[in-house]
Amino acid sequence: MIPLGHIVALSLFLFCVGVYGVLTQRNAIRFLISVELILNAANINLIAFNKYLGSPDGLGQVFALFVIGVAAAASVVGLILVIAVYRLRKSVNTDDFNTLKW
Amino acid sequence: MNEAVFYIIAFLVGAGALLSVTVRDIFHGAIWLALTLISIAFLYFYLDAGFLGVIQILVYVGGIMALFVFAIMLTAKIGDRSISQVNRQFWPGLLIAATLFVVLGKVVMDGPWMRLQAGSPVTDLKTIGTSLVTSYVVPFEFISLLLLAALVGAVVIGKVKK
Amino acid sequence: MVNIAHLIPVFPFLAFWLNIAFGRRLGRGSAYVSVGASLISTVLAILVFMGLKPGGGSYELATWITIHDHPITLGIIVDSLTVMMLLVVTIVGTLIQIYSIGYMGGDIRFSRYFAYISLFMSSMLGLVLADNLLMLYIFWEGVGLCSCLLVAFWYEKPAAAAAGVKAFVTTRIGDTGLLIGILILLATGHSLRFADMGSLPGSEILMAVAALLIFLGAMGKSAQFPLHVWLPDAMEGPTSVSALIHAATMVAAGVYLVARSYVLFAMHPLALQTVAIIGAISAIMAASIACTANDIKKVLAYSTVSQLGLMMLALGAGGFTAGTFHLMTHAFFKALLFLGAGSVIHAVHTQDIRQMGGLIHKMKITGVTFIIGALALAGIMPLSGFWSKDEIFITLWQSGNPLLFGAAVLTSFLTAFYMARVIFLTFLGEPRTETHAHESPAVMTFPLVILAVFAAGLGFIGSPWCHGAFQNFLTGGEEAVHLNYGMIVFSTALSLSGIGLAYLLIVKGFKLPGSDCPCRNWFIRLVENKYYVDELYDVVFVQTFHKICEAMKRFDQLHIDGAVNGVSTIVAFCAQAVKRLQTGLVENYLLMQAGGVLALLLFILGKLCRIF
Repeated sequence: MIPLGHIVALSLFLFCVGVYGVLTQRNAIRFLISVELILNAANINLIAFNKYLGSPDGLGQVFALFVIGVAAAASVVGLILVIAVYRLRKSVNTDDFNTLKW
Repeated sequence: MNEAVFYIIAFLVGAGALLSVTVRDIFHGAIWLALTLISIAFLYFYLDAGFLGVIQILVYVGGIMALFVFAIMLTAKIGDRSISQVNRQFWPGLLIAATLFVVLGKVVMDGPWMRLQAGSPVTDLKTIGTSLVTSYVVPFEFISLLLLAALVGAVVIGKVKK
Repeated sequence: MVNIAHLIPVFPFLAFWLNIAFGRRLGRGSAYVSVGASLISTVLAILVFMGLKPGGGSYELATWITIHDHPITLGIIVDSLTVMMLLVVTIVGTLIQIYSIGYMGGDIRFSRYFAYISLFMSSMLGLVLADNLLMLYIFWEGVGLCSCLLVAFWYEKPAAAAAGVKAFVTTRIGDTGLLIGILILLATGHSLRFADMGSLPGSEILMAVAALLIFLGAMGKSAQFPLHVWLPDAMEGPTSVSALIHAATMVAAGVYLVARSYVLFAMHPLALQTVAIIGAISAIMAASIACTANDIKKVLAYSTVSQLGLMMLALGAGGFTAGTFHLMTHAFFKALLFLGAGSVIHAVHTQDIRQMGGLIHKMKITGVTFIIGALALAGIMPLSGFWSKDEIFITLWQSGNPLLFGAAVLTSFLTAFYMARVIFLTFLGEPRTETHAHESPAVMTFPLVILAVFAAGLGFIGSPWCHGAFQNFLTGGEEAVHLNYGMIVFSTALSLSGIGLAYLLIVKGFKLPGSDCPCRNWFIRLVENKYYVDELYDVVFVQTFHKICEAMKRFDQLHIDGAVNGVSTIVAFCAQAVKRLQTGLVENYLLMQAGGVLALLLFILGKLCRIF
């Protein structure tokens, strides 16, 4: 087997790509894609540590399941918000919405 | 052999992720995200978490990806492909992401995990099922409640008002 | 029977609340509530007088507060001085309230008036019953409050409202002194009881300072120079109030305070001398002003200041009994004079004595009783004022200070002169203006007659014919008072010459030799303008204060406001700059958040985990 560090490094790369996407992409859907990447990075870590360190009740996998559930809920609400905003403003670009100030 | 499989999967995950946030066309980005998610499912199989792999494909590729595609098709504009997909803070965002990668990467390299080889018994499906309905039954129920709330919320928000 | 003394102030206090709460419903009945309450107090005071044991005593109701193991008690003192004051206050107070039923008859705030009077009675009785300075101070403020309320009773008149404020503020100067004096006694002597006052620990100088500060309080209340300015102005109040508060009782509280804490003063010659000198200055100054005043109430007001000065003078020269004796007789005949003046004003609707004349033919009872009061004040042989003034003369003669004796003689002469002047101008001679004067109703003349009886006869209890019963009652001694024929002849001659001078100047129209001399005009003008004391205060205090306020205002507007506005300008400027950070763009916020997380991460890893 490969060392645990390699898997963690992969997860870190995925996470940083997600952060980059969240910070730089102007399309709200791309924004949500990046969030999915970040959540998946966390999930990889959970499962890898569960595999390498072990757990009598499978805690890592159980939590990964929870994360998937929460991610599904977040995606649903996020996407429907994007669609609702698009109906109002005919745009999904976050830099078109600057009323959140003063 | 084992190592080769991992590195192929890792390459697919990394490349897919990178492409999914960098390609100009948002639809292509969604396709690359699907590739990434499938690759991650294979990574789960590789890590002896077969159930999670199945769930990953079912939920993400089957459910969430479909949602993404629908959302993109509902909101896409003809002219979108021509304009830049990055906003005005591209360079600071890139800098922060890169710094984060370097800093945390050093932590990973310096940590004890680089030498850690697998040795634990495989967590089987029975253990997960038992845990879900015994030790973690409360969070499990909360998750179901959350999903129900998201479902109702999505319907309420998404309904076209007449 | 002495132990019921603390009930005496309770009944007027209840009457006060009754009148305040139900005054509108009671209507004219509120007068009967007040008069009834004060009649009960009078009966109780007489009972206490009957049951008084020689030397008196005090008893405690409760421990009030404890300061550093030194308890201050709610105590009642009942000795001859207190009993004398109780009788004076209750008898004079009751008579004046009966008089007020007639005098205030048509007033719209009839019940309010009686409420205030009851509160005053209650405070005044509490004041003389208090066995320590702190209790006395509370009631002292109570009478001061009632004085202010009643002076400004007709507050629709701007002059009355101003006079109320002046009375309050001027006495406050003295009250502050009294409070500081009390605090000094408490801090150094650890006791405020009058009984302990002779044996307080503490340095000589501090005790003298405390005595002088207490005297400052007495000066304010008793309208002694230089705090006398409020009393003449206080005549804006109803005349019955002037009779009760500003002639008979409250202004005597200052004299009472000095008499009550006499041991403290007696220990320090300086304190006694100050009392005597202030008294002498007030006596002469006020008497001379009274000679030129044309307002009948102003004459009486300055006369009050003058007579109070005489009492202070007697106390300061060591004449404890002389001062208190005069306090008692003065209360009766001055109340009589004020009530008589009120009756006159009620009839002729003017206060200017130059517009009166010949009133005795139309107002027989008022005229006769007023003349009895005036002669008692002037000091004519068997009337009460004669005996108390005689006592003061003897005391001053024996003290051996010719200046103080001379001051008393001059005051006495001037007193006879100005009272004779008032009589000649008001009641005798021919009417100078057309008036439809008529005698006042019986409810007003009845108190006049009673007071006239007191004014005429009260002196006997202090006279040699009664073997000095009053003096021995007060001091608890057995000393006989002898007739001093020389002094009797002297003081009678003095009074008669004053009256004679008034007769010559006013009735016969003689002119004083050298009356065209410019220096005389200058002097007359000085006296007529009350020695310019009010003007002096205006220049020294009021205008200086205004100037300071102006400077403060400028400073406030320029610097304080500038600082405040500057701070707000700076904040607004910074806000203008910082608000650029809040773009409203979500990605900007996220960038800042990520930057913050990164910085925190670097800090934690570097500082705590020492990885970098």
